Amino acid sequence: MDWTFLSNLILAGVRMATPLIFLALAELYSQRAGLVHIGLEGLASIGSLVGFLVSLITGSPLLGMAAGAAAGILVNMIYAYATITLCAEQIVYGMAINIFAPALAAFIYRVYFGAGSELVQVALMETVAIPGLKDIPFLGPLLFDQTPMVYLAYALVIFTAIYFNKTKSGLNFKAVGEHPKAAATLGINVIGVRYAASVICGALAGMGGAYLTTCYTTTYVDGNVAGRGFIALAAVIFGRWSAGGVLLACLFFGFCDALQIRLQVGSFGVPYQFFQMIPYLATVVVLGIIGMRKAGPKASGKPYRREER
Amino acid sequence: MKNTNKLVNILVPLASVLLAFLIGCIIMLALGANPLVALQNLWTGAFGNIRNLGTTLSRATPLIFTGLCACFAYRCGVFNLGGEGQFIMGSIVCCVIATQSGITGFPGILLCLVAGALAGGLWAMIPGLLKIYRGQNEMIISIMLNYVATLLMGVFYTNWLRDGSVPQTMSVPKETMLQRMFGLRFTSAFVIAVVIGLLTYYFLFYTSKGFQLRAVGLNMTAAQFNGFAVKRYILVSFIVSGAIAGIGGSAELLGTQYRLINGFASGYGFDGVSMALIGQLHPLATMLVAVFFAALRVGSTTMQAATGVPTSVSDIIQALVIVFAVAGLAMVKLPEFKAAIDKLSAKKEVK
Amino acid sequence: MEEILRMEHITKRFGDMYANRDINLDIRKGEVHTLLGENGAGKSTLMNVLIGLYQPTEGKIFLNGQEVRIDSPAKAVQLGIGMVHQHFMLVEAMTVFENIILGDRQAKGVFIQKEQRRREILALAEKYGLDVQLDKLITDISVGEQQRVEILKALYRGAELLILDEPTAALTDLEVEGLFAIIGKLTGEGKSVVFISHKMREVLRISDRITILRAGETVCTVDRANASAGELASLMMGRELAPSHYEKKENPERQVVVLEHVDYNKTAKHSGLSDVSLTIGAGEILGIAGVDGNGQSQLAQLITGVITPDAGRVDLKNSKVAKFMPQAFIEEGVSHIPEDRNKMGLVGDMSVKENILLKSTGLPRFSRFGGMFLKKKAMKDYALEMQEKYDIRCASIEQEARSLSGGNQQKIILARELEARPDILIAVHPTRGLDIGATRFIHDTMIEARESGCGVLLISADFDEILEMSDRIIVMFEGQVMGEYSGKNPPVEEISLAMAGK
Repeated sequence: MDWTFLSNLILAGVRMATPLIFLALAELYSQRAGLVHIGLEGLASIGSLVGFLVSLITGSPLLGMAAGAAAGILVNMIYAYATITLCAEQIVYGMAINIFAPALAAFIYRVYFGAGSELVQVALMETVAIPGLKDIPFLGPLLFDQTPMVYLAYALVIFTAIYFNKTKSGLNFKAVGEHPKAAATLGINVIGVRYAASVICGALAGMGGAYLTTCYTTTYVDGNVAGRGFIALAAVIFGRWSAGGVLLACLFFGFCDALQIRLQVGSFGVPYQFFQMIPYLATVVVLGIIGMRKAGPKASGKPYRREER
Repeated sequence: MKNTNKLVNILVPLASVLLAFLIGCIIMLALGANPLVALQNLWTGAFGNIRNLGTTLSRATPLIFTGLCACFAYRCGVFNLGGEGQFIMGSIVCCVIATQSGITGFPGILLCLVAGALAGGLWAMIPGLLKIYRGQNEMIISIMLNYVATLLMGVFYTNWLRDGSVPQTMSVPKETMLQRMFGLRFTSAFVIAVVIGLLTYYFLFYTSKGFQLRAVGLNMTAAQFNGFAVKRYILVSFIVSGAIAGIGGSAELLGTQYRLINGFASGYGFDGVSMALIGQLHPLATMLVAVFFAALRVGSTTMQAATGVPTSVSDIIQALVIVFAVAGLAMVKLPEFKAAIDKLSAKKEVK
Repeated sequence: MEEILRMEHITKRFGDMYANRDINLDIRKGEVHTLLGENGAGKSTLMNVLIGLYQPTEGKIFLNGQEVRIDSPAKAVQLGIGMVHQHFMLVEAMTVFENIILGDRQAKGVFIQKEQRRREILALAEKYGLDVQLDKLITDISVGEQQRVEILKALYRGAELLILDEPTAALTDLEVEGLFAIIGKLTGEGKSVVFISHKMREVLRISDRITILRAGETVCTVDRANASAGELASLMMGRELAPSHYEKKENPERQVVVLEHVDYNKTAKHSGLSDVSLTIGAGEILGIAGVDGNGQSQLAQLITGVITPDAGRVDLKNSKVAKFMPQAFIEEGVSHIPEDRNKMGLVGDMSVKENILLKSTGLPRFSRFGGMFLKKKAMKDYALEMQEKYDIRCASIEQEARSLSGGNQQKIILARELEARPDILIAVHPTRGLDIGATRFIHDTMIEARESGCGVLLISADFDEILEMSDRIIVMFEGQVMGEYSGKNPPVEEISLAMAGK
């Protein structure tokens, strides 16, 4: 193992962690408001496709990201309406989104490009170096010469940490996920907070998906989210429902992903699929080890009815 | 009271199907096709003649297995989203035995099916064990294991059992293949699927253990207080659920695909969950939904050929059915909705 | 005294059920106004209407002479109405400080100004003698302190009218004294207090005026000066209080349960057991008296095999228990009426029939081939028989158990547990939240079980129930046995003191 190997690994790891950070933050906002969302995989897939299309049409990956966020919000409003207003079971409905959204994405792709078309490629977002910080030896070029989306992801982590720990609004937000009835008696609009959380969740999950087609690979293929929606769920559990913890968990899973890519290059005569299993196996092992010592927000998963007896 | 409930439980999925088709028609219109012609082709493609019906049943077979797999676990209150992985593990083991053991004919088929069930069951045991001993989220684990199983299958068709230059495994020997029935596309695998569906129904609703399993699924705490071994039920439900998927994997390999190849069983797991939910966890209803899904898929090919409407419209329709059905079933449980229904039936009585 | 609040002709309906019907109530400035009524009389519903959690079906509310529409809790807070709910509305994973400032609209700015808020809260706490530790998590403080946090929370929002819903239910006597002192300070500052209770002694002590509710309607409002306990009780019940006298039994011939020096989660005062020794005799009712949350739940779960003790010995019918599993206890003839019937007793989504038969589908009577084929006809006939015997009122035995009233749900459990002909019956709060008729039915049934030789353990937070039913009484406090008393002419004073840990 030499320095180039290591630095490449870190560079790739940071990149691979980014979509996970978007997705895990999406889950964090949703769960903090009491909505367990297992449909991130679906939201990301639609975000990924819309991001790809818009970036292809406009030539701007940034617009692609924005469109991905918008698509995520739109689809997540279906989830929000069903789970918040109709009190549908969150797990079941998340699953419905996981089935619906990828089908929609695949359909739009087929209609737009026609069946059996060749692979279409888009230009990726360019990296922007941060002057000054970039010149830090070794780490500088690795951490501060990335796409704006990477910086955005880290900024969002910092914002989220401050929001939940230091602001009044964040405190109210958390109360909705812990004890909605108590929150309601204090005049907090439980339904409103849950819808707001769903907008944030949809946007972030859509961006997580769009990142894959605007910053990571140049094409869209069905199933390109590849379980990241669920790994992000694991990252939230692993990160103990805190922004900082979630960041570390995502970096860990990101590095697992980067590692498997690097190892594939080395190959050592082992079928490459075994390396590809690493992130998935890591998720299983991590979840198995940490167990359920501390559960998440208390009211997570439960519907809130105003006049319940 | 109870009858209204039952009626609503049947009406909601039916209404969802109608609504989904309605939106499907709007999409077809937007694509410049005549929806009526398209739907007619869809129908002919799926059920128009006995040949097509055979194809539909053949396509329905693996879906029935994964549907029952999801249905069984969820009846015990656990979400097994790993049907696909368990299905694949079943087919991998089946493939190895069928091509390597040299045992053919009926003993070979039996061995393959049993081994497939074992493989699926063991694969499902992993999330089951982590659930009961580590309190861990069985959904994430079972999904992660889907990816692992898919990749492992990749190792077999690109490396270990590769047959020639194309990335696919060798074929199952002819003697071990499941026979087609009545000269149509569907095989005895369909019969196996239906029998397992009936057995599941019988177990859940006509045996004491099945009754207890349902009680565990609906209220684990009460089940524990009433002396049921909750953890054992959860683990067993995972294993049985996985075994159903595993047999499905074997049967699909022996009956339809004959070799493992890229994309084998892709999406079957989530399809299964979708069908179980639309069928409201009733094994017989789940099987019907599986046939419906298969019909959409088979029919859509004919539809595409005749009208140019892409087959993925049928995927959208399927996806819409689940989106509507689950929301609809939640809606009818709302107190406001119940009150409205009561009012309606009260009015009827007055009349 | 001037009037600050008036509720006129308030009606609240849930579906077909009237929780409140044409209720009138007026509150004056600086008074303690008690709402007196049995469980289910509509007290809590009325208050939930007042704080905007429920919308009244009909009726008007006037505040300081102005008609107001309280369409949300936020509005109630804004109008200066605060409520301390019986089940505290506190976020357990947050600190006391965070709970107090939650949802605060007065302070400006985005960020929490910790120092400034703390100063304000501490000043307020001092003024009213509310002793709280701001930086502790709610999970780490006592029930009494949680209640002070709730009061402080309301005052911090500028409450002029404070509603206390059953505030003494979970308090020891000493804590009750503290609470009354706080109430005195509040009214001294011109604030009004609505006190909800059904404990006569406290009501007579603290109230200025008393409004009696019965079955969702107002009976009357009286001044404390003109009221007596007997009169209030008969107004509350709607009939003379006829103390039922079950015959008390003494000295059972054999013991069916023996606990020796049992420990469970010893350090937890409110959810553990410490060195508990007791016996339950065949054909006697042993009553466990004590304020909720002093280890009673754990005691019940231990004798039904749900939890395993850390130390000590448990004998069932003279043989030592080796494995703590509900199944093993059920086979030994232990029946259980659990404390939370919806969570622990019933499978709400299953039918009345299925719940009655929950434990017995494997019996030859209800299935062939050792449970391999259910006899649906036999199951149905049996359920119908039980429905009649236990007077379970439901439209059909196929109805979901969830949709039944509490009393009928409890009867399902009773039918299931008692038809097993248990040698030991563990009944936890068996009549909580039930009306008088259902309560009487359940008491009679328990006495019947006793007469047939069953050893009954009755755990109840309702002291009157303990006194009425028990042949022997044991008092528990912080997981320990404080004393044992005869059920015949029990020393009420002494027992009350023991319940407070003295």
